[in-house]
Amino acid sequence: MGVDRDREIDKRMPLRRVEFHILLSLASGERHGYGIIQDIEARGETSVPDVGTMYRALARMVETGLIEAAARRPASDRGDERRNYYRITSAGMRVARAEARRLELLTRAARLGGLLPKEVK
Amino acid sequence: MMRSRMFYLSERWFRLLQHLYPPDFRDEMGNAMVEAYLDRVRDALKDGGTMPLVALWVRALIDSLRNGAAERVRPAAAWRRAGAWGRDVEIVRRRLARSPIFAATTIGTLTIGLGMFAVVYTAVQKVLIDPMPYKDPGDLYYVWRDYGPIADLQRGSLAGTDILEMQKPNAVIEDAAGLQPFLGGIFALREGAEPMEIAVTRTSPNLFDLLGVAPALGRSFAPDEIGRAREQVMVLTHHLWTRLGADAGIVGANVRLQGRQFTVIGVLPPDFTFVRNEAAASPQRVDAYIPLTVNLAEPDRRGGYAGLIRARRGASPGAVAAAVDLVGRAIDARDFNSRGLKLYSVGLKADVISRIRPALVVLGAAGLVLVFMLMLNLASVLIARSAQREHEVAVSRALGANTIAIIRSTLLEGGLLGLAGGALGALAAIWGARALVALAPLDLPRREAIAIDLSIAATVIAVGVLLGALAAAPPAVWAARTSLSSLLAGSAVRGGGGEGRLRRGLIVAQMALSLVLLSSGALVMRSFERLLRADPGFQPDGVFTVRVRCPPEFFPQMSDVIAFQDRVQRALAAIPGVIGASAASALPLTANALQTTITIPGAPGNTGDAEQDKVLADMIAVRANYVEVMDMRLIAGRTFTEFRQNDVTEAMIDTAIARRFFPDGNAIGATIRLGAQSLTIIGVFNQARLYDVHADGRPQILVRAELGSRPLFYVMRTTREPHSLLPEVQSAVHRIDPRVAVGDPRAMDDIVQASLSPQAIGGALISAFAVGALLLAAMGLFGVVSGSVTRRRHELAIRLALGAGHGRVLRLVLKEGALLVMAGLLIGAPGIYIANRMIRGLLVGVSPSDPLTLLAAALGLLLVTMVTCYVPARRALRIEPAQLLRHE
Repeated sequence: MGVDRDREIDKRMPLRRVEFHILLSLASGERHGYGIIQDIEARGETSVPDVGTMYRALARMVETGLIEAAARRPASDRGDERRNYYRITSAGMRVARAEARRLELLTRAARLGGLLPKEVK
Repeated sequence: MMRSRMFYLSERWFRLLQHLYPPDFRDEMGNAMVEAYLDRVRDALKDGGTMPLVALWVRALIDSLRNGAAERVRPAAAWRRAGAWGRDVEIVRRRLARSPIFAATTIGTLTIGLGMFAVVYTAVQKVLIDPMPYKDPGDLYYVWRDYGPIADLQRGSLAGTDILEMQKPNAVIEDAAGLQPFLGGIFALREGAEPMEIAVTRTSPNLFDLLGVAPALGRSFAPDEIGRAREQVMVLTHHLWTRLGADAGIVGANVRLQGRQFTVIGVLPPDFTFVRNEAAASPQRVDAYIPLTVNLAEPDRRGGYAGLIRARRGASPGAVAAAVDLVGRAIDARDFNSRGLKLYSVGLKADVISRIRPALVVLGAAGLVLVFMLMLNLASVLIARSAQREHEVAVSRALGANTIAIIRSTLLEGGLLGLAGGALGALAAIWGARALVALAPLDLPRREAIAIDLSIAATVIAVGVLLGALAAAPPAVWAARTSLSSLLAGSAVRGGGGEGRLRRGLIVAQMALSLVLLSSGALVMRSFERLLRADPGFQPDGVFTVRVRCPPEFFPQMSDVIAFQDRVQRALAAIPGVIGASAASALPLTANALQTTITIPGAPGNTGDAEQDKVLADMIAVRANYVEVMDMRLIAGRTFTEFRQNDVTEAMIDTAIARRFFPDGNAIGATIRLGAQSLTIIGVFNQARLYDVHADGRPQILVRAELGSRPLFYVMRTTREPHSLLPEVQSAVHRIDPRVAVGDPRAMDDIVQASLSPQAIGGALISAFAVGALLLAAMGLFGVVSGSVTRRRHELAIRLALGAGHGRVLRLVLKEGALLVMAGLLIGAPGIYIANRMIRGLLVGVSPSDPLTLLAAALGLLLVTMVTCYVPARRALRIEPAQLLRHE
């Protein structure tokens, strides 16, 4: 079972950048698509995904079970039920953690290999 | 004010852009995406200015173009990615198992159709496409003489000197070999052993090197093994070797042919066959090869050899033709005073298959049409099936079933049906091909190669799968579009869905194609029927024939031969049940007579131009009573009698010669010159056709066999079953001379049938295709009409309730079917024209646009289809309006 789960996770990695950002945003709570885009902007990412790219990624990730649609509800700012809200699934959480670890390992390797400046402690 | 207008315009724009996405994605995400864009618009308007807004619009356009296109092509990518094939196969398997009748009839139809296709495809592939089994077969050519203005012979055999001329060093022609027309021989394993008849070909010693074939045992001929003045050697075919007991020790053994001693030097490999075409004699299997016994250089202007050349590697056919033509000019100048003799080359394969090619091309085309019809039929069956499953599909889609999964399972269903049909069809074709070979004429080129092999089976299965998947494509697309709302809308009006229109279109296409096949089939059958009724000039029923040779080794003097032949003829005539016996050097419809040039000096029909007054005629040597035994028609004079005057050489001429030379009819008593010989005309007869059943061939003359014919075909007219005579014939000949064998026992009817068999097989196959096509079309129509009755039962019930008579309702339903059929006939009519251009070459005595036949085909199609309409349409009569309408 454990092996199966690991394989499941491995199969989804590496994540596309937009996918990682989505999981990252949803890890701290339910969001709608534009909310995720705003999160990404706030993170200082140089290229922010377009609306179409975002929603296509959301649709795929729902299909693969990394995230799921949450109940629709009015946004906190305005009363509009047309937004789709999403939340992360436990599988999505595992994949996000695994991806973060993978990136960390790669970054560490890059520092050791001298591609990046040594970490300042 | 301005802001809200901008906001409104932006929303319109974004909604418009949503149409770049596929509908299902739009349904799911559209609103949320528009909302997200509008959030951006709010931000932009907050910052103020229209420029950021316009930038946003442009960016949204680019975004939608890119992602909309990507989303639209995603199904193809998802198709490859998704890994639920096993589950889909299982679903389809269960679905088929739940409707065994549907599965069985569909697979059965596909099996029969694809089986027929496989047989034809095998024949086309093996005969027309596969290379001949020789080394670099593309470099092998036959060479023929075209006598041009010299004589009416465009496909004459070569003289020995022609072969020598081509063997001279040449930049294009690498080597040349001469083969002599098939000779039979009386073969015995050793002195005194039971004699048997075998077919022997005499050839230049280089034949096997030229073909690039090495013997399986022993060696082939050495270059100097030619002529009589040396040890006689023989190479056996694998077939004869097997017949003799397959003893490897036979190499080096001494055997007897016509009483002469030959040493067996080799045995050919089992797959070696060498089919000579029919130019000089009817081709047949060869049992053994011996080198030519004569010197090719001996001056002899008569033809007599089939010439085979190998071009140097890489020489183009054009270069070969030019080189052969050049040789021909030299020969023309040397031997014919440049009167216009030409030599020409024909590729070995093209030459061998020239007669069968048109029939095979037509059959291949018919096979393709049949496969196409199978596909249309399967498509309409599958559409009907998915229409039945409309509710299931709509509900499962409403519950969130993946569109791709639905498409995939529908395509898979078609593909699996095609796979099963293709595999079973290929299996069935194993026997089909054997049956075809068994029925095929012995001289069908490459007959032995016709068998299903793995690559053919794989192709047939692949065709089946492709056909199935293509047939499943329309229902798959249609199923993918089904939604609960459209289903509800459809059931509200109780009308037909889109599938009805699609199916009707398919029916029209099937009708059109079956009309084309049916009219071609009808024309071919009608032509065949003409052939069957054709009068070949003799009466074949109840005639039995055998060949008996009189080799000079056994009968050195012609007087011995005549005495022997007299005794045989008398002995055969004395067999109980035999009404009369005679003999000829060539039997009708076997195309193996010798040709000779005749003149009739002083005849009234002569023009005075010496060249024009020569006629090339087939010369057949016969014994007394031949005309009577064969039941040929004597037009004037008398026939050959038992009594022979020693001082007069008698001849009979056919009506063609009589008309040519004696337009006023008085030919009897005139003198024919045949080289140095003078013969007296004693009778005029109607040809017993030598080549084709339906048309006279070359002019014929009959001469007495006593002039010097050694091998003769004896003919016996009998009241018994012809083949039952064989034991008595054998013992009769054996009593007269035990060294002589009886060969080639055949009933004359068999010979007639063999000469018709290419047409018979072609006709049978094309008719089978036509009937198959008709059945397919009828099945499809049946389904559509019965579906239509089911679908329209409410409408029909209401009509009945409102007072329409049952007959009126029946007509309504029939009209629907009739419209489809008529549309099919109209669309198919131009197809007939195209098909008829193709089959023109196959037809004998029937015009390809024979109006009666075409009308009959169209009416037949109409009749069959109207009957098929009528059966389901009758169900409309059983509608009980009150009951039906109450139920709903």
